[in-house]
Amino acid sequence: MAISSQARLPSEFSLSGQTAIVASSGGDESPFLAAALAEAGASVFAVARHAAAADAITAAVTAVSGRDTGRHVGRWDTPDGASSAVHAFSALHPRVDILVNDTRSFFAKPAAEIDLAEWDELHARNVRATFMLSQVVGQRMLEQQYGRIVNVISNLAERAVINCSAYSATQAAVLSLTRSLAVEWGRSEIRVNAVGSGWSTAEDIPLETQREELLVRYTPMRRKGHPRDLAAMLVYLCSPHCDYPSGQPVYIDGGLNAHP
Amino acid sequence: MLENLYLDGKVVVITGGGTGLGLEMVRALTRSGANLAIAGRRPGPIEAARDEVIAAGQDAIAVPTDVSKSSDADALIAATMSHFGRVDVLINNAAMVADNVLKPIWEITDDDWDSAMSVNLSGAFYCARAAAKPMADAGKGKIINVASGFGLRGGRDIYMYCTSKGGVIQLTRVLSFSLARYGITANSIVPGFIPTIDPGAEINRTLPQSGDFLPTGKLGKPEDLGPIAVFLASDASDYMTGEMFILDGAGLAAGITPTGHAPVAALEP
Repeated sequence: MAISSQARLPSEFSLSGQTAIVASSGGDESPFLAAALAEAGASVFAVARHAAAADAITAAVTAVSGRDTGRHVGRWDTPDGASSAVHAFSALHPRVDILVNDTRSFFAKPAAEIDLAEWDELHARNVRATFMLSQVVGQRMLEQQYGRIVNVISNLAERAVINCSAYSATQAAVLSLTRSLAVEWGRSEIRVNAVGSGWSTAEDIPLETQREELLVRYTPMRRKGHPRDLAAMLVYLCSPHCDYPSGQPVYIDGGLNAHP
Repeated sequence: MLENLYLDGKVVVITGGGTGLGLEMVRALTRSGANLAIAGRRPGPIEAARDEVIAAGQDAIAVPTDVSKSSDADALIAATMSHFGRVDVLINNAAMVADNVLKPIWEITDDDWDSAMSVNLSGAFYCARAAAKPMADAGKGKIINVASGFGLRGGRDIYMYCTSKGGVIQLTRVLSFSLARYGITANSIVPGFIPTIDPGAEINRTLPQSGDFLPTGKLGKPEDLGPIAVFLASDASDYMTGEMFILDGAGLAAGITPTGHAPVAALEP
């Protein structure tokens, strides 16, 4: 693990020469995650439902790499939508090494009051979109016998919170997909893992201000997570050196999962 | 965002650091700029590892240590404090595979049980206890416990190894929750099958010889632990605590059928 050409980055964390698709539901963590991949040397192509979300990712990537490496705006929770996204990607890039699914639209409502349209829309965005893009990109990865897929999830995949039944079900579903695709595609040098966050913010809020919130004082590390807390682990899970790990979540949540 | 992966002279204490997985972690940590206190029962391997680290331009000491003796664990941390003045990271890696002659439960002696538990579980506790105070005084520290996939699943006739490694995972959770307020994190590395031991050892007759049974089709290599040891030792992992990092060829994600079992069933109308 020599120090690579990127300043002071251990070479096992280098994504030099790799090409990544980052699919984002528009959450404010996605631009940081995309920028981390770019910092490690990857070319990053953004997929988002709205232009504003794609703009934020492209701006973050360009700030790091000095290059605009493309984007696609549109839903991708259908076979046609996912194919359009990958078609747009292929016009700019010859192969896809990495897929990051950061498809976490948050939703909270008493279970007794959730209507069918809300349930279905949330599952379409968070679960079906993750599956559709993984399926289309996975077909290419199977052909090239190589790929790294990382699903960004919440620790609500493991634990329950009042009013979060629908959202938690989507996160558990994505965790289950992580295991299943890792097992089904493992012989084709495709690794599928998840990185999980807890209570987080993309803003830099002073600790004293954060700790006025009960949720922050309850968290063992006594601060909210920031997307940069996920950066190095995400990069490793996307790298060619991440060969033996597959089918598992890694939670970076300030200790909440160990909380009794 | 990634610059904090570099270890910049952090002082890492590692038990079982002269051979196998421990030696590969020593090498990766050295390449990322760590200084090391290398512990092990036998002086030969840890002195060779120390010389390798120094030759690579980092500082290191070798401390002969039997982690099953709490006085040895205390002396290891004292020697580290004396030489380096601080302990930034502790990696509890020492373990004995005491179930190397697989026996039915009624043939396992009290000594078989006690010796394995005292190295694998008590040893991790003793070292964590000794390191936690100087880490708390510094307001920062990282404890990394090497567990095993056998700490999460059962192995036939592998009583002590499975039980002690399950205990290590729980020890990690308690350390993380108890020490977070002092700026100390604790995480487990959970390896699956990674052949490292003497190819002639009797346990090799019972362990898999290839990765054919794993979803990814291959066994791990000791150097697979390098990047995760560097990550967990670095400031890049500051918000991760109480967790497991599992590397096992997707073995734990699968396992409820023989490898390759692939049912096909159409959806009923």
